[in-house]
Amino acid sequence: MNARKIALLVLIVAFAASVETAWNVGGDMSLGPEGCRVMGGRFYGPSWAFETTAEREITAGVAPRLEIENSFGAVRVGKGAPGVVKVRLRKVVFLPTEEKASAFAERIELRLTGDGERVRVSTNRAELGRGEQTGFETHLEIEAPAETVAEVRNEHGRVELTGLAGADVASSFEGVEIAGVAGDVKLEARHGGVSVERVGGGLQLSVRHGDVSVSEVVGSSKLDVKHGSLGTRSTASLEIELAHGELTAASVGGDLVVRSQHAPVSASDVTGRTDIETSFGDVRLERVGGDVHTRVQHGKLTASDVSGGLNAETTHDGVELERVLGPVEVKVQHGGLEAKGLAAGARVQASGADVAIDGFAGKVDVEVERGSARLAPGGVLAAELIARATHGDIELDVPEGRGFELEAESRRGQVNAPLQGLDSSDDDRRRGQRVVGRHGTGGPSVRLTADGDVTLEPRPVRSLTLSAVQKPRAAANTTPEEPAAPMSPKPVVKPSPALPAEPKAPPQPEAPPEDPGKPGHTR
Amino acid sequence: MSRPAFSPEGVTFGVCLVALGVMGTLANLGRLELLPLLRTWWPLALVVWGVLELVDLWVRRSSPGRS
Repeated sequence: MNARKIALLVLIVAFAASVETAWNVGGDMSLGPEGCRVMGGRFYGPSWAFETTAEREITAGVAPRLEIENSFGAVRVGKGAPGVVKVRLRKVVFLPTEEKASAFAERIELRLTGDGERVRVSTNRAELGRGEQTGFETHLEIEAPAETVAEVRNEHGRVELTGLAGADVASSFEGVEIAGVAGDVKLEARHGGVSVERVGGGLQLSVRHGDVSVSEVVGSSKLDVKHGSLGTRSTASLEIELAHGELTAASVGGDLVVRSQHAPVSASDVTGRTDIETSFGDVRLERVGGDVHTRVQHGKLTASDVSGGLNAETTHDGVELERVLGPVEVKVQHGGLEAKGLAAGARVQASGADVAIDGFAGKVDVEVERGSARLAPGGVLAAELIARATHGDIELDVPEGRGFELEAESRRGQVNAPLQGLDSSDDDRRRGQRVVGRHGTGGPSVRLTADGDVTLEPRPVRSLTLSAVQKPRAAANTTPEEPAAPMSPKPVVKPSPALPAEPKAPPQPEAPPEDPGKPGHTR
Repeated sequence: MSRPAFSPEGVTFGVCLVALGVMGTLANLGRLELLPLLRTWWPLALVVWGVLELVDLWVRRSSPGRS
């Protein structure tokens, strides 16, 4: 190996190490003013704190709009007395002595402007920043009437907002916490964790590089999360875009629509339908009131207690189903199916692994390549059954009772059918066997074709217990604490799974979707 | 001994530079996020280099007149 090759190898490894380091550090490093360093969005070094306050009257009976602009400091907005906005500014100046810091703090101004309907809170940071080398933080604590809709723009500082009528927040390099908002919430955040809870309206959220927690949202939510995990609890309908994270959704009072990449998805107690597309992660669903539509690349699907139908495609991993009331359609590439309790039949295509269905009713059509099929009806055979296995066997449990018309063929093995009325024939065949006949009094058609053995085993009849299917628990219809502003009634969609066992409970129409208002693209 | 016209490490370096430039431009235009892309796909540089080395070895063995 010559020097050029060694140099290139070192260069590639160094480049990879740099990328990995940059990834781990994230946005936590940047250069700051002389005399103090900025790490993680904070100044370091000796500092001195000073405070100033201001108030502004609000026109009575008007829902004011509060515009807050800040950077390098926290913003905390809470519910205050009616008719007035109170602001407390805490100035933290990073200079070696208190005298110098005090002199500099005198130049930091709190700007509280606007009329009675629109109030703007900011500082003169932009003017001080020109030509200055001194680091300083401006922390804002604001009290506003409960009818206020707040618009917050902050960088390098945490944002906390509680008890208002609405919120529009854009923040970066620190976390955001929003709670108890009576109306709609719009949030864009970068490089920080986000917590949103008790929202009386809809939620529109876009987060990059941070974990997100959302709970108790009455309106529908549109969530876009990249490079972070997302957890939701007690929400209405959810429309989610997710990449490089993990989704856990519990108690969804409506539909759940997920488009994700490199993300495992786990959802439970969904009263509406679920529509999930993801890759490089497993999907786990429990207690779904509506239909399930799922596409998983390089991942496994596990679903239990589905009151509607199920349509699933997976690659490079299998599907596990338990207690599905509606019709099932499953396509698996490089994986198998293991199912228990399919109440309305199934159409299954699988390759590279076995298909096992324990307890089914309705028409079943199974096609498996490079694998075997093992089928056990939940009761007497009452509908058509078709199974084809290439490079595999077929086993069918035959319940005692009603008969069927059998057409079974093994291309390279045997047909074992110790049942009355079935004749076997292997005439003119070098290998393989075929059995055609009527078992009992006849009935639905059963066609079984396999390269390997075909085996029919008599079994005592048993019943498929549909009542064991668990329904989704209702999402909590929560409202924010003390909603002062008149909230637009946006009820959580009540659970209304169209259960075949309960035809008297028709599905309720879903709440009208919120204005999508797709969040702007940010990098 | 004449210098070979085809150098695997030279081609690899050139391809990496072009790819890095294109990705940087697309990142500046807001079409992609550079860091996750680089973090995921940088081993491809080793794969490309290795394939080129194998091709170079095969060409040399099938052309005995060449050094």
